[in-house]
Amino acid sequence: MTTTTPRSPGATDAAAPGTSAVPAAPPGGYDAVPELVRLLDELTGDEGPFSGAALAALDTREAFPAQACRALDEFGLPRYYVPVEHGGSLDDFSTVMRLLRAVSRVDLTVAAAHGKTYLGAVSTWIAGDPDRAARLGRRIGEGAVVSCALTERHHGSDLLAGEVTAREAEGGAGWHITGEKWLINNITRADLVTVLARTSPAGGPRGFSLFLVDKSRLAPGALTPLPKVPTYGIRGADISGMEFHDALVPSDALIGEAGHGVEIILKALHITRTGCVAMSLGAGDHALDLAARFTTATTDGGTPLAELPHVRRELGAAVAGLLLAEATGLVAVRAVHALTGEMSVVSAVAKAYVPAQVDDLVARLLHTLGPYGLLDADGHGSFAKLERDHRIIGIFDGSSLVNRNALVDQFPRLSRGYRKGRRDEQGLVEATDPGVPLRPFRPQALSLLSGIGASVVAGLPAAVDRVHDLAASEAASDRLASLAGRLRQAADRLHEEMAAVRFAPRAVPGHAFELAERYELCFAAAAALHLWLRRPDRVDEAWLRACLVLVLTELGEPVGDTEREDLDTLADALLTARPGAVPSLIDSLEGTTP
Amino acid sequence: MPESDVEIHTAQSLGRWLTECVAVHLSRPADTIDSAVPLSDYGLDSVYALSVIAELEDHLDVSLDPAVMWDNPTIDALSKALAEELALNG
Repeated sequence: MTTTTPRSPGATDAAAPGTSAVPAAPPGGYDAVPELVRLLDELTGDEGPFSGAALAALDTREAFPAQACRALDEFGLPRYYVPVEHGGSLDDFSTVMRLLRAVSRVDLTVAAAHGKTYLGAVSTWIAGDPDRAARLGRRIGEGAVVSCALTERHHGSDLLAGEVTAREAEGGAGWHITGEKWLINNITRADLVTVLARTSPAGGPRGFSLFLVDKSRLAPGALTPLPKVPTYGIRGADISGMEFHDALVPSDALIGEAGHGVEIILKALHITRTGCVAMSLGAGDHALDLAARFTTATTDGGTPLAELPHVRRELGAAVAGLLLAEATGLVAVRAVHALTGEMSVVSAVAKAYVPAQVDDLVARLLHTLGPYGLLDADGHGSFAKLERDHRIIGIFDGSSLVNRNALVDQFPRLSRGYRKGRRDEQGLVEATDPGVPLRPFRPQALSLLSGIGASVVAGLPAAVDRVHDLAASEAASDRLASLAGRLRQAADRLHEEMAAVRFAPRAVPGHAFELAERYELCFAAAAALHLWLRRPDRVDEAWLRACLVLVLTELGEPVGDTEREDLDTLADALLTARPGAVPSLIDSLEGTTP
Repeated sequence: MPESDVEIHTAQSLGRWLTECVAVHLSRPADTIDSAVPLSDYGLDSVYALSVIAELEDHLDVSLDPAVMWDNPTIDALSKALAEELALNG
């Protein structure tokens, strides 16, 4: 079984220049986002691969949306998973976020299936040999699907318990991989798989390595795909597993140094967890769009639902939830470039908060509008489908609990940093002002632990002071100053509580998770506040106030009835947007408000 | 966390500080901690152990690669590696 002769590396990796199946890289200044949005609009029409009817039919049959994925390949989306230095078009993570958000706005199964290639490749981008990375970049440009196999049947999120083993072949002629990886997105479809395997019997943080396994270079019988697992949501996705039977991979399959797999993947997850926000934001856009159309078209006793005060209030709160998620997501993806060393905090906040916030807004809409028939408002069950599909976003790539645990582990430093106002001011400005060009992302700047804490939150007191200054010169309302002041007090108290948390290893007390959730709320509010302060002329102050009203409510702080009326401003913004559009901070900040 | 007025960081002084720090994390007396035993044997697993590095950085006011803890899994090895690194950068 081990007498395989690997083909020469050139056999499958070579691609003559100009033969790529994907259109050539666009000239500078080209913005792929509106192009993709236009294409998706076209393909959502009758009979199109992204039409509600086609996607619903696939979902019912639990069939993979192959045609839709092919259309994205033809558009050239895979190029945006490949960094420019490795031959692709990825030079700004906020562009990928917007591209995947646009896909997710139509269908999460397609987005999760297509976007997974980035997770599959990222370890090679940040730690792989440059030649190997360039070869992988070419393969992805040609449409290769890449998966990433971390989890195993009995270990869930506990990567250090992994039993899949890689043993170095005699004479350094490669590695033999044995064991089963399970519950992996795209592993059966994939052409290449990044595999985390135990390379030292004792395990531990230096006992695992990463391998980029090219299935086409394995001997026949080296792999057995495991059956597709039926899932609650993203039913058409290829969620399955793979058994390796002493599969011999060449020595250049090793990504980075042997023994450094856990470190590489933990850093890679700082990026991919942040990228997951794109899927939640797209789902949130879709949910609000469906709800807006539904409440306008449906009446109760002759009155459109959209005119009922309690419906408007809930719609407004749902929009505020999406804006907070968007503020967090936007600042987090910009932070990949601008605050790279802080991503151990930022990615944990983004991955725990954004999916939870979107789950909440979906639940809020269903609570109010479900009884009227929102689930099947469009005749294809789209709302029901997105509600099911979105559940997975809070689980994969590190669940909310894993991410909150990561935050709790960093409480001592976060609370000290906040007390001292310790922050990277330049990085903070860059992360929170979309008008400032982003510096190139430097993978070497990723760190397992943020050395400084979190600039976004440590900069909150100064931002609140700035609001008070603006209010004193009547450039901001007293209402905003009052809300911001309460946020500051809540954040001060929270950090004192965080500083007081003490626990033995692995025994995180339950209330610490609740503190982590409050920390996420403070981060989201701080992100919204920073963004607004950079461009107060671009975003209606009432939008920011509504966001703070929602955060303070969720923090359990007192909020007045008059203050809550700002939520209705957001409901109006939703209901008067052009069809298919929902209020967006990004659009407002960039002056492209629909 | 234990305070220290160590000016010149020797492997010995760092080892004492680390033992105190680990003892506080584990809520057990410092003299029950063997500096030659891997910290993971005390339940200080890989990611949690990084918070010891965070405290050490704040204590020494230096910036360290947290993975130094993974490459030097015992207090003895870690103090030696840190003392060498501080001597290099000092």
